[in-house]
Amino acid sequence: MEAAFSRITMTAASAMLLLSLVVLWRRHAGAYITAFRTQSITLAVTGAIVAFYGTAPELFFVSFMILVVKGWIVPSVLSAMDAKRRSGRELHPLLNTETSLLVCGALAVAAYEISRPLAEVMNLATRGGLPIALALVFVSLFIVVSRRDVIAQIVGFLMLENGIALLALLGAYGVPLIVELGVFLDVLLGVLVMQAVVYQIHDTSAD
Amino acid sequence: MMRDALVIGVQTVLLIVIAPAIVGYVRLMKARLQGRRGAAVVQPYRELRKTFRKGMVIADSASWIFHLAPFVIVGATVAAASLAPVISAAQPADLLGDLFVLAALLMLGTFFLALGGLDPGTAFGGMGSSREMTVAALTEPTIAIAVLTLALTTGSTSLGAIAGTVLKTPAYAIGPGHALAFAAFLIALIAETGRLPVDNPSTHLELTMIHEAMILEYSGPYLALIEWAAAVRLTLLLTLAANLFLPWGMATSLAPVALVAALLAIVVKLAILGLLLALLETRVAKLRLFRVPELLALSFTLALLAAASSFFTK
Repeated sequence: MEAAFSRITMTAASAMLLLSLVVLWRRHAGAYITAFRTQSITLAVTGAIVAFYGTAPELFFVSFMILVVKGWIVPSVLSAMDAKRRSGRELHPLLNTETSLLVCGALAVAAYEISRPLAEVMNLATRGGLPIALALVFVSLFIVVSRRDVIAQIVGFLMLENGIALLALLGAYGVPLIVELGVFLDVLLGVLVMQAVVYQIHDTSAD
Repeated sequence: MMRDALVIGVQTVLLIVIAPAIVGYVRLMKARLQGRRGAAVVQPYRELRKTFRKGMVIADSASWIFHLAPFVIVGATVAAASLAPVISAAQPADLLGDLFVLAALLMLGTFFLALGGLDPGTAFGGMGSSREMTVAALTEPTIAIAVLTLALTTGSTSLGAIAGTVLKTPAYAIGPGHALAFAAFLIALIAETGRLPVDNPSTHLELTMIHEAMILEYSGPYLALIEWAAAVRLTLLLTLAANLFLPWGMATSLAPVALVAALLAIVVKLAILGLLLALLETRVAKLRLFRVPELLALSFTLALLAAASSFFTK
């Protein structure tokens, strides 16, 4: 039971990490948004699994919120944002794809090395997923730094947020509900503000 | 001793004999998906028979390497095939070689294929060899690391032992290392066997072709040998994907019932993997040659992540 729980959460966390690699590999904003949507749904599923095995019923509500806010509203806003600007062209990053992927491999190994002592003193069943969550945070940060396109940067930021949520979920079975709600509001507001500002950023920084 | 030799021999012969059928099956599935009727599954056997009977036209500039290459390719591929656990998880060939030997044998075949392409001195052959080496240099380490991940989890580098351990402890199979390594292995498999989106197996005259460019100068029996070896290579890698990562259904004893069940299981697994391959080839377009290293870097990163995570799960 415990072993299955540990392995399922680790697999879900790995799936989330893989979905963040999609942003490094694909070159169209639509693919980034789909990756983010799938990643949020995976996060919601992970939350539900932790709620079920870890007997933390309020996490079911949090998972549902994640599903609605990050799995549906935010991706829709992003899609609308993408549809309004001139899209369809390939987006070229600051760093080429091979190097980015190798950097991410190195970041993941670094995350494993950093979180090893932390996971050794913990006795939660989910501790195996911690390094993966940390790797997700690092990789998302790297996306924000290395991409030139605004949508990719926003998606990177949102994935960073997903990574922190995953870290909280696996490291402490979620933070208090009021904090969680505050974070959701933050994300929603952040995306709406970014949406308003994006066109200006695009006009002044692009080309 | 005799029994061990028999187990190895039967499995190897099985792989070699069904290989053209697997190629024919993938082609048939692709044709059906594209709305064509397609040739029968046994078509590759007919083609092989026809090619074996034909005479050979060999370039004047070809040296002995050109004549040696087809035999080395077939030899290396068959030797590699003899190491793979096909129906029985207890594979006596574990004593003869492990996954490193397998990777080395596959690389030997690739190397001689490239040499054979270079030898007659044609422009196309050299181009194909150069590309094949670029791709191979990136895929071979990925295959090795992906299988090494399994070795780290199961504690053995022998292929039969890996399959046996995963069979005994199914919990290994739902770990992240396993899933990541499987994804990496599949991408490497596609690149290694020259399928879309890395190479197009159904073209003869395209500037971006890899495999076909190398074997352009070969004809008659040599061509048949090389084509057969390519089919065995595809079947071998598909079998490894099926049996190392999803070993369920393999026989753990040599009882006749278990062996028949295992034979059915491997046929079903190969059919599913072949269908997936056909689906993928129908859905994706060929990558530009300069994007191929990106795909291979992706699969290398996946394999690296898999290896890192398997260190951590311990």
